[in-house]
Amino acid sequence: MMPVAVGPYGQTQPSCFDRVKMGFMMGFAVGMAAGAMFGTFSCLRIGMRGRELMGGVGKTMMQSGGTFGTFMAIGMGIRC
Amino acid sequence: CQSREHCDKAGVSGLIYQGTSTNDCCSCSPWRIVDDCGGAFTMGAIGGGIFQAVKGFRNAPAGMSHRMKGSMTAIKTRAPQLGGSFAVWGGLFSMIDCGLVKVRGKEDPWNSITSGAMTGAILAARNGPVAMVGSAAMGGILLALIEGAGILLTRFASSQFPTGPQFAEEPAPAPMPTPSFGDYRQYQ
Repeated sequence: MMPVAVGPYGQTQPSCFDRVKMGFMMGFAVGMAAGAMFGTFSCLRIGMRGRELMGGVGKTMMQSGGTFGTFMAIGMGIRC
Repeated sequence: CQSREHCDKAGVSGLIYQGTSTNDCCSCSPWRIVDDCGGAFTMGAIGGGIFQAVKGFRNAPAGMSHRMKGSMTAIKTRAPQLGGSFAVWGGLFSMIDCGLVKVRGKEDPWNSITSGAMTGAILAARNGPVAMVGSAAMGGILLALIEGAGILLTRFASSQFPTGPQFAEEPAPAPMPTPSFGDYRQYQ
C-alpha cells in the first residue's frame, strides 16, 4: 500500500503520521500563542515582574503548547 | 452551496479534519454535531488518559505496584470526566456553529469565533455574568487563534502541495484506491 493516497481533490494527501505531526505542530503553535496571552495575565496577577515574569510566561507557554499539541495530535490521529 | 476550497477552512472541524470530512460541510447535517461530540469525547478521553497516567504515576506512593495502581485509578476517575467536558464543549460548539451557518447563510471564520465565545458564555452561565464574559473572551480568543493557524496552514499547504500536474494525466481515481479506515465520512 502506498503511503500517499490520492485525495478527492486530485492532490496528494499526507500520510497519517504526517497529519499527526502537523496537528502537533499546529497545536503547539496555537498553545504557545494562547499561553503567551493567558500566562502574561495570570503571572501579572500573582505579582511577578521583570525577569521572573519572563520565566513564568515562558513556562506557561511551553506547558500550554505541549498540552494543546498533544490534544490536537490525538484529534488528528483519531480521524485518519 | 459554496466552493469546497472555502469549506476547507471552516472552524475547528475544518482544522482537525482538514480535507477529509469537510467534503459536504456546506450541507452541515445534524450528524456533524454528533460526530464532533463523539470526536471530542474520544479526544478528551485519550488525552486525559495520557496526562492522568503521568500524574497518577507521579503522585502515588513509592513502589512500582502502587504507582501503577495510582496511575490506573487516576485514569479511571478523571479521563471520562475530561472526555465528558470535551464532548459538552464540542457538541455545543458544533451546534452553534451549524446554527450560525444556517442563520447567516455563509461560512467564514467569524462563525466559529462567535460560536466559541457563545459556548464559553453558555457553559459558564451558572457562575454569573462576570465569569460568562471571561469565559466567552477565552473561548473567542482561543478559536480565533485556531482559525488563524488554520488559515495560515491552508495558505502554506496550498503553496507547498500545488494541485499537481503529476496527477493530471491519471484517470479519475476509482471510488477509493486505498480504502482506509477513516473514509466513512465521505458517504454521509
